[in-house]
Amino acid sequence: MATDGGPLEVDLRQQTPIPLDCAFDCAPGELLALVGPSGSGKTTVLRCIAGLHRAAQGAIRSNGATWFDERICLPPQQRRAGFVFQNYSLLPHLSALDNVMLALGDVPPRERAATARNWLARVHLQGLDARRPAQLSGGQQQRVALARALARAASGPAAAGGGVLLMDEPFSAVDQVTRGKLRAELARLRQELAIPIVLVTHDLDEARQLADRMVVLHRGKALQTGTSEDVLLRPCSPAVARLVGLTNLFAGTVGIDSGRPCLEWAGRRLAIADSCGCAPGSAVNWVIPAEGVLLHRPDSPSRGEAENPVTGTITEALRMGSFTQLTLSIPGEAQPLVFQASSHTAQRNKLGPGQAASVTLLAERIHLMPAE
Amino acid sequence: MDWSALSLSLQLAVMTVLLLLPLAVLLARPLAWVSFPGKGLIDALVTLPLLLPPTVLGFYLLGVFAPQGVLGQTWLALTGRSLVFSFDGLLAASLLVNIPFAVQPVQRAFEAIPREAREAAWCCGLSPWRTLWRVELPLAWPGLASAMVLTFVHTLGEFGVVLMVGGNLDGATRTLSIAIYDRVQAFDDSGAARMSLLLVLIAFAAVGSLHFFTRKVGRRGN
Amino acid sequence: MDQPIFRIPRLLRALALPLLAAVLPAPALCVPLGALAADVSSNSPPHIAAAADLQFALPEIVAAFVRSGGAPLKLSFGSSGNFARQIVQGAPFELFLAADERFVAQVIAAGRAEGVGAHYATGRLALFLPQGSPIRADRDLADFAAAVRDGRLQRLAMANPEHAPYGRAAREVLERRGLWLAVQDRLALGDNAAQAAQFAASGAAQAGLIPLSLARAPELAARGSFATLPENWHGPLRQTLVLVKGAGPVARAFAEFLRGPQARAILARNGFGLPAP
Repeated sequence: MATDGGPLEVDLRQQTPIPLDCAFDCAPGELLALVGPSGSGKTTVLRCIAGLHRAAQGAIRSNGATWFDERICLPPQQRRAGFVFQNYSLLPHLSALDNVMLALGDVPPRERAATARNWLARVHLQGLDARRPAQLSGGQQQRVALARALARAASGPAAAGGGVLLMDEPFSAVDQVTRGKLRAELARLRQELAIPIVLVTHDLDEARQLADRMVVLHRGKALQTGTSEDVLLRPCSPAVARLVGLTNLFAGTVGIDSGRPCLEWAGRRLAIADSCGCAPGSAVNWVIPAEGVLLHRPDSPSRGEAENPVTGTITEALRMGSFTQLTLSIPGEAQPLVFQASSHTAQRNKLGPGQAASVTLLAERIHLMPAE
Repeated sequence: MDWSALSLSLQLAVMTVLLLLPLAVLLARPLAWVSFPGKGLIDALVTLPLLLPPTVLGFYLLGVFAPQGVLGQTWLALTGRSLVFSFDGLLAASLLVNIPFAVQPVQRAFEAIPREAREAAWCCGLSPWRTLWRVELPLAWPGLASAMVLTFVHTLGEFGVVLMVGGNLDGATRTLSIAIYDRVQAFDDSGAARMSLLLVLIAFAAVGSLHFFTRKVGRRGN
Repeated sequence: MDQPIFRIPRLLRALALPLLAAVLPAPALCVPLGALAADVSSNSPPHIAAAADLQFALPEIVAAFVRSGGAPLKLSFGSSGNFARQIVQGAPFELFLAADERFVAQVIAAGRAEGVGAHYATGRLALFLPQGSPIRADRDLADFAAAVRDGRLQRLAMANPEHAPYGRAAREVLERRGLWLAVQDRLALGDNAAQAAQFAASGAAQAGLIPLSLARAPELAARGSFATLPENWHGPLRQTLVLVKGAGPVARAFAEFLRGPQARAILARNGFGLPAP
């Protein structure tokens, strides 16, 4: 439907009231997630883009048009930013249709009702036009809010480009089943939208499922920008690793083994696929995802020599449905190693606290980063 | 029944409401949403007429409204009319003493509007003016309605200030409440009783309609 | 426009229109406003400020004035002192009927009067005793004095001596009889003579010192008994009229009429003394 416009370019810096230091862009059709703990400034960034907050310095451009720089700060009315608020923020005295029509000020009056109905239909709210917010469920209210924001960002002249969709924790106020449905719907809708979409969330699963790229924010600073795979498997710093909840974070040194870089850790030498630019002899932090840790099963021994074998003692075995989360204490390392095995395997091998277990650390899943 | 007093009271009450309500909105919005130095002082000034005895207000108003007074002189120069013992003066006094009755409910109502409601309207492209009409005023409606009713009824019932600033001029400043006082002194108990009953009924009707309107809005809102 | 959303105007209209409708058939706003222009020369009825002792006599006189071809007047009753102050401050009265010449002198001194005042009647003070009062009505206040001493008198209604001539006269009577100090803490002071009469007639006070013109009116006579007090017990209550600067022809004609035979007859019937014509 919408033709391609230019990207949304954001560069914000300020000290107070909330420090900000971040720059990113978001192409039409791209969904960018701003992730970070609460208080990290994600919402403030979103409000800056919408024109609800003015940063001290920086610039915001959409489709080539300047929304904000040293001289210009357009009011929200002149920015084509559809905003989905955390608590819907529908106007309680207006029907669903009227709420959506409110955002269609640039559409010729005769076409407004039809356009609004169309948006409501696209979020599957046909027939609920006349309901007031109080007569809708939480999920339905959020769909109206989404339709309203889309109507603002992608109707009328906006379809020619320049509109952006901003969502602030849009699914946090609904129950989990509804949340799942809404996410799926957003994933489907965004394929039809050729506008930049910025999603603020503290839910990494949500970011991974929906976003093309994510920006990790901490205290207003953008620590890493990249695809969800980049960020979750190859964090650029221990801080990012911690923020995205990576548990297997250890310290080590880059060594040389047979002329190839290796990882020296807890008195062991681990083979690595890539030194990630860390020079031999330098102190590093490294991570390995739970999927990179493979259990050696005494009931079916692996053929050949296992890669990076590590032996330790199980300190905890948590059955979590079809898999069991195992915590392994390793000699020479204070941090435990966490990994998963199928509950079936764990049961058959009687894995429990006090048991010794051996695992393989897949070399290609080991990621190195400069130490803090 | 003193029909001219009734008509005068209604004129005074309607004009007070019509003139004061926009003023109240203008004053209550910044008081509700913006914090600025001296806000506490303005809050206190807005409440002051509620706390001062009507005679104190009447005394001061008589001073400034008198032909030698600041306001009285200006008004005389501008309109050629007197501000004391006239309907103009009565209206001016009524506007002043009703400020707390008009501003406070409106201020409370604006305070109750979530910031996101206005922000959502702005993000939908509504100008501040259209946001006022489409979002703020409809959401503040219960407060506006109580401000209107309180101001209306309070104006009908105001006695002390009216007596001091307006005197007791038939057809010009003799409001219903003054006429009742007058009738009692003239030993016309039945006349006083009829007018008193009318005031009671008007007050009941006003409060009743307020209840009706706000309940209707409440149902609509939630 | 997108009509279906906004609702305030409809509700505003719902409330405001009936009110406006109730108001507008009455004299439009500009009429009372215009009538009060600084120069009181318009042709709406002139405002007359009258001492409260004329509460019953004056409407009768106005009726006679209208019957004999005069134009209608608008009457306000109150204490002479308050009216004097209001007229000095610019209240748009055209004729001032004071219960005491002193207040007329104030108006003249302030330059608000036209010519000098004219004494047209003399007020008399009466002791009024509401039904059920334990005190007997006698014109030498003998039982009243006894009641002050033995406590049968708990409340005495009279006008405020500070600004109401009948209050001043009542105070002079009480001083003359040596009762003033004794009744100090039992006084119910009316803002004007009519309010004092109202206090007395309601039975809230056991006695009242009020204008004879009110005490003998049917409205009060039905509610108690009264005795007229000797004229020389207090300074004279010279009912004095004065035209306010800018008074119109109707007010002038009425001032003339007040001194004529018809008005004198009505005043006499209402208990006023009359000066030589």
